[in-house]
Amino acid sequence: MLDKFVQIFITVDFYVAILRMATPLLLAAIGGLVAEKAGIVTFSMESMMLMGTIAAIVGSGLSGNVWVGVLLALLGGMLIALVYAFMAVTVGAHQIVTSVALNLGMLGLSSILYALAFTRGDEIIQQVIKVPGLEVVKIPLLGDIPIIGAIFFNHYPLVYVAYVSVPLVWYVLYRTSWGLKIRAVGEHPHAADTVGINVHLVRYLSLLVTGALSGLAGAFLSVGLLNSFMENMTGGRGFIAYTSIVFGKWEPGGVLLGTLLFGAADALQLRIQPMGLNIPPQFMTAFPYVVTLLILILVVGKASWPASSGQAFRREGK
Amino acid sequence: MNGTKKVRALWRDYLEKSFNITIPIVAVLLAFAVSGVIILVWGSNPFEAYAALISGAFGGPNAIATTLIRGTPLLFTGLAVAYGYRGGFFNIGAEGQLYMGAYAATWVGVTLSGLPGWLLIPLAILASILVGMLYVLLPGYMKARRGTNEVLTTLLMNYIAIQFAEWAMRVNHYMPGVTKFDDGSPAVWTWVNWIGIKDPTQPFPKSPFTVEAAYLPSLKSVMQSGFLGELFGQAEWYQAIFNHPAFGRITLAPVIGIVVAILIFFIMFRTTTGYKSRAVGLNAQAARSMGINVPRTILTTALISGALAGLAGGMEVLGNQHRIIPNFLVNAGFDGIPVALIGQLHPYGVLLSSFFFGALRAGANKMQIVSHVPVAVVYVIQSLAILFAIAGGTLDIESTLKKRRMMREREAAPSAPPQGSGEVSHAG
Repeated sequence: MLDKFVQIFITVDFYVAILRMATPLLLAAIGGLVAEKAGIVTFSMESMMLMGTIAAIVGSGLSGNVWVGVLLALLGGMLIALVYAFMAVTVGAHQIVTSVALNLGMLGLSSILYALAFTRGDEIIQQVIKVPGLEVVKIPLLGDIPIIGAIFFNHYPLVYVAYVSVPLVWYVLYRTSWGLKIRAVGEHPHAADTVGINVHLVRYLSLLVTGALSGLAGAFLSVGLLNSFMENMTGGRGFIAYTSIVFGKWEPGGVLLGTLLFGAADALQLRIQPMGLNIPPQFMTAFPYVVTLLILILVVGKASWPASSGQAFRREGK
Repeated sequence: MNGTKKVRALWRDYLEKSFNITIPIVAVLLAFAVSGVIILVWGSNPFEAYAALISGAFGGPNAIATTLIRGTPLLFTGLAVAYGYRGGFFNIGAEGQLYMGAYAATWVGVTLSGLPGWLLIPLAILASILVGMLYVLLPGYMKARRGTNEVLTTLLMNYIAIQFAEWAMRVNHYMPGVTKFDDGSPAVWTWVNWIGIKDPTQPFPKSPFTVEAAYLPSLKSVMQSGFLGELFGQAEWYQAIFNHPAFGRITLAPVIGIVVAILIFFIMFRTTTGYKSRAVGLNAQAARSMGINVPRTILTTALISGALAGLAGGMEVLGNQHRIIPNFLVNAGFDGIPVALIGQLHPYGVLLSSFFFGALRAGANKMQIVSHVPVAVVYVIQSLAILFAIAGGTLDIESTLKKRRMMREREAAPSAPPQGSGEVSHAG
C-alpha cells in the first residue's frame, strides 16, 4: 500500500495537477488579499468567481474567442466587486451578511445568464455546451528543462498569471506608496484619513483588484479546466480562497502555501480513489480544512488580522 | 408620575421586543420588482410567473403543506443564526451542525430500533440537539476564550461535517439482522460499522430509513386520535378538514418549530440568559463593565445556536425524509442567514420569513413549469431582498433603538455632551 502511495508522489503529473488545482484558488486569494489588507472582508469572492465562470463561458461561446471570455470574466468580477464595494464601503453594511447575499444571488444569476445566452426559443437546454477553451502554452526554453519544465512551464496561460501575481502583489503591498496606503487604511483608517488618504477610494480600488483576479479565477474554472458550465461551478472555492488568506496569515507567501496545500489535497484525492487505497477520499477532502482549523486554533492570533477588518469607515462626528 | 414612567418603560420594552416589519416587506417587494425585470428579459410575463409562484406555494392544501415542509428546516436554522447573531456569535456553521444533527437523529432512529416511539422520538431529538451543541463547542470556546473568529471556524467545520456525513453514508451501519453486504460478501462487523450509517443491503451511499416508531406523527393522526379526536371526531367539518391528505403530509415538525420560536422569544427577551446574550452582542465591553461574564455568555450563546441548528437536522429526519442521503438538505444551514436577517433577528420575524422562504421554494417549481422561468430566479429574489433590507439599515435595529433612546435622553438634558462616535462597527 505504501509503495502505491509513494508512486503518486514521484509522478510529474501529480505536481502538474497540484498547480492546476491551486491556480483558481491562488488567483482569487491573492486578489482577495489586497482588499483584506485594506480592511475589507472578502467573503464575497465566491460571487465574483461565479460571475467569472459564467462571463467567460458566455464571452467565449458567443464570440468564438476564448480571450474575449477571459476579458469578460475579469470585467464581470470587477462589476460584482463594485456592487460589494458600494454595500460594504459606501453603505457600511455588514460585510459577511452582504457577501452571503451576493453569493446566493450570483448562484441564481449565473444559471439564468447561462440559460439566457444559450437558449433558443422556449427550449431550456439540457446538454452541456462546449465552448472554445484555453490551450496549454509551453514557455520557450524554461519549458524544455526536464521535469521542472514539465511541472511548472507547461500550463494554461492563467497559471502563469497566478505565478506572477504573487510577487507582484507582494511588491505593491510592501514596496510602493500604494501598498502603504492600503495597509494604513486596513490597520488604522482614522489615522490614514487624518493624513489625507481617501479611505473609501483605496478600499474601492483594492476591491476592484480582488474582483478582477477572482473573475480570472472563475474563468480558469470554466474555460480552463472544463470548457463548460455547471450550476454552482465554484462549489465553495471562493471560501477556500478566503480560508487560504487566513491560513497564510495575510501574507502573500503564506497565501501561496495555503492554496498549494488545498491544491495538493485536491490532486491527491483524485489519485487515491482509483488506486483502491484504504484512505476514504472524504478524509482527503476534509484534510486541508482540518489543518486550517488547527492552525487557526493553535497558531493564528488576533494580531494577524488587519486591525479594522470588517468595519466600515465613518468619519468621527458624522 | 410613577404611572407614566411605568407606561413609558412598558412602551420601551415593547419597542425592543417588536420587530420592524415595514422594511423587510418593502425589501421583498423591491426584490420581486427587480426580479420581474429579469423575468421580462428572460421573455416571460412576470405577473404570470409570480401568479404561478403564489399558486404553487399557497394554492390549495397540498401547496401549503409543501410550503410548511420546505420552511421548517429554515425556521430552525434561522432561529439558530438569529440567536447567535444577537449574542455576537455569527454562526456560519449551521449547515455543518445541521448535518451532524441529522446524522445523530438517523443513527438513533436506525440503531435503537426496539424502543417505542414515545421514547425513541425524544431520544432522537435530544441526540440531534446534543450533537449540534457538541459541534459548535470548539468554535464557541475559541471565540469565548481566545477571540478566534467564529465565522471562519464554523465555516471550516461545515466542510468537515459534510465530508464526515458523506463518508458515514458509505460505511455500512451495524445491523444485526443483515448477513450479507450489498456486494454479496458475508457481513463482517467492526467498530467502524457503529459509526457508519450506510444501508448495508443497498449499493448506494444513503442511510436506511429509521424505524417507523421514529417518524413524527402527522397532523392528521394527531388530530384524529387522543383528546381532540374524541372531542371533535364526530363533527363533519372536523373530519372534512383533517382527513385531507395534506394533513397526512404535514408532521408535527412545523408545530414544534413554532413552539421553539416562542420558546426562543422567551429566552431572548424574558430570561437573564437572553438578556446577557443580547448585552454582549450589542457591546461586549459595556457588558463586561456591567459585571457580565462575557466569555461564558458567548459560549452559552454559541451552544444555544448550535442546539437549534442540530435540531433543524433532527427535525428534517424525523419529520420529513426519515434518513440521510447525499445533499440531503442543500444550503438549509446557509439559508438560515438570510432567513434570520429578513426576519429582523427576531424569533417571530424568523417564523414569518422562514415560511416566506419556504413558499418561494415550494412555488418555484410551478413557476418553472407554467412560465418556463428557471428556479434559480428564487435565489436572486432572496439575495436582492437581503441586499435591500441591509441597505434599508434595518439590521441595526438595536442600535437604532439605542440612538432613539439616547436622543430622547439628550432632549431631556440638553446640556449633556453628545455621545458615541458615528462608527458602524461590526465585530466580524
